[in-house]
Amino acid sequence: MSFLSIRGLHKRYAATPIFSDINCEIAQGEFVTLLGPSGCGKSTLLRCIAGLTEVNGGQILLDGQDLVPISPQQRGIGMVFQSYALFPNMSVAQNVAFGLRMQKVAPAESAQRVADALRMVELHEFANRYPQQLSGGQCQRVALARSLVTRPRVLLLDEPLSALDARIRKHLREQIRSIQQELGLTTIFVTHDQEEALVMSDRIFLMNAGKIVQSGAAETLYTAPVDAFAAGFIGNYNLLDADAASRLLQRPINSRVAIRPESIQLDANGTIDAQVRSHSLLGNVIRYRVEAYGVELLVDVLNRSPADLLHNGQAIALHIEAQAIQEVA
Amino acid sequence: MSRAELTATSLYHRSVVWLLLLILLLPLAGTLLYSLSSSWSATILPDGLTFKWYLALWSDARFLAAFGRSLLVCCGALVLAVVLILPLLFVTHYYFPKLDGLMNLLILLPFAVPPVVSSVGLLQLYGSGPLAMVGTPWILLGCYFTVALPFMYRAITNNLQAINLPDLMDAAHLLGASTWQAAWLVVLPNLRKGLMVSLFLSFSFLFGEFVFANLLVGTRYETLQVYLNNMRNSSGHFNSALVISYFFFVLLFTWAANRLNKDPS
Repeated sequence: MSFLSIRGLHKRYAATPIFSDINCEIAQGEFVTLLGPSGCGKSTLLRCIAGLTEVNGGQILLDGQDLVPISPQQRGIGMVFQSYALFPNMSVAQNVAFGLRMQKVAPAESAQRVADALRMVELHEFANRYPQQLSGGQCQRVALARSLVTRPRVLLLDEPLSALDARIRKHLREQIRSIQQELGLTTIFVTHDQEEALVMSDRIFLMNAGKIVQSGAAETLYTAPVDAFAAGFIGNYNLLDADAASRLLQRPINSRVAIRPESIQLDANGTIDAQVRSHSLLGNVIRYRVEAYGVELLVDVLNRSPADLLHNGQAIALHIEAQAIQEVA
Repeated sequence: MSRAELTATSLYHRSVVWLLLLILLLPLAGTLLYSLSSSWSATILPDGLTFKWYLALWSDARFLAAFGRSLLVCCGALVLAVVLILPLLFVTHYYFPKLDGLMNLLILLPFAVPPVVSSVGLLQLYGSGPLAMVGTPWILLGCYFTVALPFMYRAITNNLQAINLPDLMDAAHLLGASTWQAAWLVVLPNLRKGLMVSLFLSFSFLFGEFVFANLLVGTRYETLQVYLNNMRNSSGHFNSALVISYFFFVLLFTWAANRLNKDPS
């Protein structure tokens, strides 16, 4: 049986539905990500699980107990916000101790647990600083320590990395993942960044317009998108309608087709004649925009040597493996 | 720009500033000097310097009573303001953010209606009937509250907007705090600065208020400014000492407000 189970959850603001009939099962210790574009309802779903937003129907079962009638204070759920939400009038240690203070934990034990939590996020030397004296990444680590110190049953992360710069974001996501695995903490992470979702999660729930479109392990979502939205949101799929696909593959095709840019090979023996239109350097990968039979495609090639670089206008031949061609709804 | 031109402009800028300062400070300096002079009538400079006017002022029972009344009315109005405005701000910003627009309109009203006009209205309303308060300090308390409201509302709103109230409340709730605990332990300490600054500024302003005090209460509850007005025919030296004492007191409060405003923590 799953640890956290969401059944038929509905939420609307006035007449506008935010999401409807959401169902998902999350196992204990699992790291799942709610991934989707902004406005898809993922943050609202997270807030409903936390109890910060009321639901209009459905159940949220945590370890068999329905959370819906329970106040956020009693749910035993920790949350980290995009804005950090640190208390500016309290030092780092006081911020982390706040939850324990509310639980009336004895001062000696509280001090010990605060020190442990700060050590876990490598900020024990900053205990007496104030939030305004810390960088964004440090603030978010304090917020993480603050939500971990009360030993929550579930940890919710609401776009915790979105306000940080790229380098710190990468470091912090590894830190979050390793702490989560160390504690075996059931965690729900909300993001609109597909790379974050793919790197961090055990499982991804892809959301769009208030619905869970697809769920599964990162590999599944990446390699087998169920529909055009999933293909468009994850990776940089080439999405072709039936007409264009038939022309490109030179056989009749009746549905839309998604092809990943890295699964298209530049092959002198390839059967598809094409021409390079433009290219952009993404670092270790070169992304070519090519045209074949009036169809525009993105093709990703490893950037092995400058000598391999193709010029704009150059004629090439492409090969696409049969299993790389995904038919999508 | 050449060096000579630069010095010329800088000289011009300096002289404008000094001229402005002179215009502003000259009357004050004159008043100060007059309040310190034993007598000063037919000569260019005073005959001699003395503290006797200050001694006379600060031992005048009527002055001390008026000073006390002003203090009492101002502090009372500000206590009322704190007790009413803080919860009001919390409720508007946390539960009904859309009301902020309406509140911004409401707090402009005390500015939109000149004190003389609103005094006439207040005299009509509270002159007789079940709420007859004209001539008592109570009407001043209520009236000064409306005067302080815009200062306090704006200053604390700025403070509130700087702290991301909804997220702080959510975080506190999830950590086990009730709404009261969250408001008391998390929100209120962060509003301290805005609150103190607006309190000091409102105090300075209310302490010198004359129109409402004179029209609504007058000599029946003589405040400092009404006292000053009533003493206008007595010795000029004495009045000067009064003005300087008042000014010094307000200066002290304004300085305190500025100090708090600059405090980085």
